[in-house]
Amino acid sequence: MAKKSNTASVAVPKKKKSFKDICKENIGFFFILPWLIGFLVFKLYPMGASLFYSFTDYNLFKGMNVIGTLENYIDVFTTKKITTALGVTFKYAFITVPLKLVFALFIAYILNFKIKGVNFFRTAYYIPSILGGSVAIAVLWKAVFRDDGLLNGLLGIFGIEGPSWLSDPNYALFVICLLRVWQFGSAMIIFLAALKGVPTDLYEAASIDGAGKWRQFFSVTVPIITPVIFYNLVTQLCQAFQEFNGPYIITQGGPRNSTTLISLLIYNSAFKQYDMGMASAMAWVMFVILMVFTIIAFLSQKYWVFYSDEEG
Amino acid sequence: MKKDFLKRVMATGLVAAMALSTAACGDSADEAADAPAADTTTDAPAATEAAASTEEASDAAATDDGSYEECTLTISWWGGDSRHEATLAAIEAFEAAYPGIHVEPTYAAWDGWEEKMATAFAAGTAQDVNQINWNWITQYDSDGTAFVNLNDYASVIDMSQIDSAYLDMCTASDGSQAALPVSMTGRIFYWDKTTFDEIGCEIPTTLEELKACGEAFAAYGDDYYPLALGEYDRMILMVYYLESVYGTDWVTDGQLNYTVDQVAEGLQFIQDLEDAHVIPSIATIAGDGAASLDQNQNWIDGHYAGIFEWDSSASKFSAAAEGREIIVGDYLTDLGDYQGGYAKVSMCWAIASSCQHPKEAALLVNFLMNNEEAATILGSERGVPVSQIALKTANDAGLLNGQVVEANGKVLAWVQNSLDPKFEDSQLKSSDGVYYDVMAGLSYGDYTVEEAAQTLVDGVTSVISQ
Repeated sequence: MAKKSNTASVAVPKKKKSFKDICKENIGFFFILPWLIGFLVFKLYPMGASLFYSFTDYNLFKGMNVIGTLENYIDVFTTKKITTALGVTFKYAFITVPLKLVFALFIAYILNFKIKGVNFFRTAYYIPSILGGSVAIAVLWKAVFRDDGLLNGLLGIFGIEGPSWLSDPNYALFVICLLRVWQFGSAMIIFLAALKGVPTDLYEAASIDGAGKWRQFFSVTVPIITPVIFYNLVTQLCQAFQEFNGPYIITQGGPRNSTTLISLLIYNSAFKQYDMGMASAMAWVMFVILMVFTIIAFLSQKYWVFYSDEEG
Repeated sequence: MKKDFLKRVMATGLVAAMALSTAACGDSADEAADAPAADTTTDAPAATEAAASTEEASDAAATDDGSYEECTLTISWWGGDSRHEATLAAIEAFEAAYPGIHVEPTYAAWDGWEEKMATAFAAGTAQDVNQINWNWITQYDSDGTAFVNLNDYASVIDMSQIDSAYLDMCTASDGSQAALPVSMTGRIFYWDKTTFDEIGCEIPTTLEELKACGEAFAAYGDDYYPLALGEYDRMILMVYYLESVYGTDWVTDGQLNYTVDQVAEGLQFIQDLEDAHVIPSIATIAGDGAASLDQNQNWIDGHYAGIFEWDSSASKFSAAAEGREIIVGDYLTDLGDYQGGYAKVSMCWAIASSCQHPKEAALLVNFLMNNEEAATILGSERGVPVSQIALKTANDAGLLNGQVVEANGKVLAWVQNSLDPKFEDSQLKSSDGVYYDVMAGLSYGDYTVEEAAQTLVDGVTSVISQ
């Protein structure tokens, strides 16, 4: 007790910090404050709220009762409509992600050559990504794929009777997948940047060793850009599982729910059936599934992704 | 009981319509035009406190002096371009009549509108004045708190212009006047006479004739059909058929009045139409790649020569089929012993309870409903007006669409059944609802008629019992 008293008596009085000093010390915090507020208000709070709602029977106009059990989650896995939507979503993701990556890489590889008008082609291939899921695209897509549309008209020239793309449950998903693959521009631009970063001396060395263009691509280019492939894979996977625009504007989930992806079903459940509880449960199931796939992708990195700073 | 009530309503409506069409200038109508509530002769925008609570509003209503507060109001509606233009012009006229009140509009097409408004009403962020669907009253206002009780503003809104039976259809569960009906509507057949003439078929007035047309159309061309029906159209036609056969309303007081077997009979009727080449399959319509029937190329060029549509939608379909003669048909007389089908309030004006200036909002509603200038601007953009003064004004000025009036007259003269608002609950009629599932499932062959009937009965029962 006495020691404390002595210490206090010899201590140099603390200089009071000015407001300017406080600001200076916490400048980093102030810089991230806008993002932090946005994250808390627009991300964390809605996520927390939806987690809570997923354990309730919250209806927009009939109020809310806490269920307190996993009833909504059990319903997600036992309701045929939802399990069908989950199945369609998996199918959609597993078709579109590889196709989009391959297509984007292929076009980026071509556009990496010094060809005439390359800037025009880069822009042209990027445009579909900007157009996205607009109403104009819905009209265009329907005009191409309807029974007497452009595609069947072209097939007819060769004597082929095209299927009913929009009304046959076996083909409708293909139409939606194609819309997504067509919008490969952003992935292509990222691949293009990566390809620009591949050292030319590696190609020269490979060429001297007798490697042809294909061998150079698979043995030099692809290994060098695997970090970018990995990045595109994860982002595309996330986007594919969350796809909403395509089925919403073109098929509205039909025919016979063959294009009802889980995000569309969540929307319908929340805003057409007003069943926020079930919609929240579905959203959380989707979140967990995406999380699992992302973790698997990250764990698989050590087997196929090569970083330049790694040894060996 | 309800049927008698509805008959009385229809009779009143018809008498009013006939009186208006024959009399050049009835005295009563003139008096109605001068009714105090329709009066827009406010001297100046004297700034007074708007009644905030219901009690205050009631007091204000009792002692209304024609004053109002300067404010900004918001208003929302859905519709096509012509409705947007007309409503914007009517709002401009309102702002001129009430200097100091500024109105900010929000409007769009129907697609996605219901979802947007449902969220807005749930969050309490809806516009002050809203064009609402009739069933929204039961759907959004289950406890009578979503909309302002318009009875509280009876001195501002001239409700005497509207038949009390129509007003009663827009009351909330607590008996408050949640909205004002704009027009009445029902489904009726429209035929593309150009195509019928081309094929050599008479316009059908019986089911037998309609089926004969199916054969004739098939013989003319595989892609020609006398009638085209989407999923919800099929549902409404099925109800019309069942009510014609059994005479009973589809739903009464939260109770489905038809057994699974009877519903199966109705679904078989629909399936028979498809099998007889009277209507295209759901897959055929989906394959057309059109957002709606009026945008379907096969309707535009006459391959689909008939629709079963709301009388208020006639102009949209006629405009789409440019150069073709679209005529209003008659109800099929041989479906059963009764005159099935129903008329309902097509849409209403309501004031959201979150409105900060309910009296001024009521002035706007009254202007849009009962003002003569507004009536000449709006014409039949929202169907044939139920407001007598608006109907007379638009009629005298020759502004009502002849086809809409003809169709509306036929609907009101024929239908004998009433409709429960729950029939239109979005849980049932949305593309995610049981109507679509059953009608598409039956057409695609995913359901047998019996399975479809059971699914429909289960789905409807679960929603109407909520």
